[in-house]
Amino acid sequence: MAKKDQIAQRLEQLLPQDAICRDENYRAGVILAARLTADKLRAALQACEEAGFFLECITGLDFTDAMELVYHLNCYEPGSRIALRLFCQPGDTPPSIGDIFPAALWHEREVHDFFGIQFKDNPDLRALLLPDDADYHPHLKTFGKTHAYLKWEDVYGKIK
Amino acid sequence: MAKLNDEAVSERLYSLNLGPQHPSTHGVLRVLLKLDGEYIVEADPIIGYGHRGHEKMAESRTYEQFMPNSSRIDYLSGLIYNHGYTLAVEKLAGIEVPERAKYIRVICAELNRISSHLLWFGTYVMDLGGFTPFLYAFDDREMILDILDRVTGSRLTYSYCRFGGVNRDIDAEFVSMTRAFVKRLRSRWSDYHNLVTKNVIFINRTRNVGVIKPELARLFGVTGPNLRGSGIGFDMRKIEPYEVYDRFQFDIPTGNNGDALDRYNVRLEEMEQSCRIIEQALDQLPDGLYRNEHVPFKVKPPKGEVYFSFESARGLTAYYLVSDGSSTPYRLHVRVPSFGNLQVLTDVLTGTMVADAISILGSIDIVVPEVDR
Repeated sequence: MAKKDQIAQRLEQLLPQDAICRDENYRAGVILAARLTADKLRAALQACEEAGFFLECITGLDFTDAMELVYHLNCYEPGSRIALRLFCQPGDTPPSIGDIFPAALWHEREVHDFFGIQFKDNPDLRALLLPDDADYHPHLKTFGKTHAYLKWEDVYGKIK
Repeated sequence: MAKLNDEAVSERLYSLNLGPQHPSTHGVLRVLLKLDGEYIVEADPIIGYGHRGHEKMAESRTYEQFMPNSSRIDYLSGLIYNHGYTLAVEKLAGIEVPERAKYIRVICAELNRISSHLLWFGTYVMDLGGFTPFLYAFDDREMILDILDRVTGSRLTYSYCRFGGVNRDIDAEFVSMTRAFVKRLRSRWSDYHNLVTKNVIFINRTRNVGVIKPELARLFGVTGPNLRGSGIGFDMRKIEPYEVYDRFQFDIPTGNNGDALDRYNVRLEEMEQSCRIIEQALDQLPDGLYRNEHVPFKVKPPKGEVYFSFESARGLTAYYLVSDGSSTPYRLHVRVPSFGNLQVLTDVLTGTMVADAISILGSIDIVVPEVDR
């Protein structure tokens, strides 16, 4: 069985039915996007690790009503990229996954630099790309010049 | 008379800053090493000296205006980054590209890949103390720069691609120059192998040095020639062929041990494979338009997102674009391969000697401004 089907099965066991959205056309570059909650994050990424995936990157998105973390994972097979998405509010501390994927240690440091999100149990959240004394988070839409600051729905539409 | 230092010798760790201005580190990278004698106990790469905030810049300029930025993220494979960015926006906005433009882009991107690998070859061998091969590599690289200069107008930071095509057409002179270059590069392999590949000092400094096991590579998200050196033939051009890569015959070279020597061999072989792609693309090059003339002046992709990945000279690179329906991206994130390739050093450097650290650092081919973005 292809790894993308393996992980789809595991995620279906782990998450509620309506949290997973599969796209065979690969339109957004992912075969599967799953909406997580903070308590399921570590279990979902542990399942990915066991299925032989690797972490491509963690991206932060800033909206007026929420912040979102997108974890992109891939394996060495065609068309297998998946996206795990987690909403978080200002002040939330999502759990670190640095012990599952060491690659996340730096990605989390980067997200912490740019968005000020504290990852629980990340042993080292020093500034990575910003200067040591930086007290700003430049990728927040309230910092500097940006052309738009929208609600999540305005970009992605209503969650069904 | 000065009193002799009769303090007892104590065993303690010694901190050494490798960089930020050490001549053998590329770009401005600093690696903070904790040493026990000659052995590295802990390595902590400190990055960010070249952070320019490309992702933030993207949020206040139009898709077209970000084009020059794309080739400045990784200045050694700028055209490939430029190509990938164009493909990502075209996928999001649904823009058609004429056949001829696709071939032109692939030819130029592969030329750029060879020039990036040649520069790596030269600087890596120079790190290890050999100055002559550097001059050989730059001699060959100069030909590529002349070819690309002729068609794109610049030598390093090409902004050649446009949404729906390329900036200007190639001509018969370009084709003959490229064919002459491929022929010449092939005649140089024996020189390269005699100078470097068969050199005993070089082999001793690279074999079994800096071994990256496949499992370690996966956990750190290592991609590109570094991953292929560990024996995993993962290349976006083969796995998820974009543009017209599925129409060419080429192999994905892989190594066995994942040491510095394997990474070296993989890169040298990759240059030969790029030559094959270029030759086939020149043979198949169709006539027609080099640019879709119906692309609007301001591209406005529909609301939504795309994560588009492609193979740069250093590995899996991806643009993650979120569009709010306007002519400016809501968010643009670049997944850079050097990030994971550098981070793996925190593990690989541990337990090696300082002299090997230079060899390992060179062998993974990082471009620091790419890590810093």
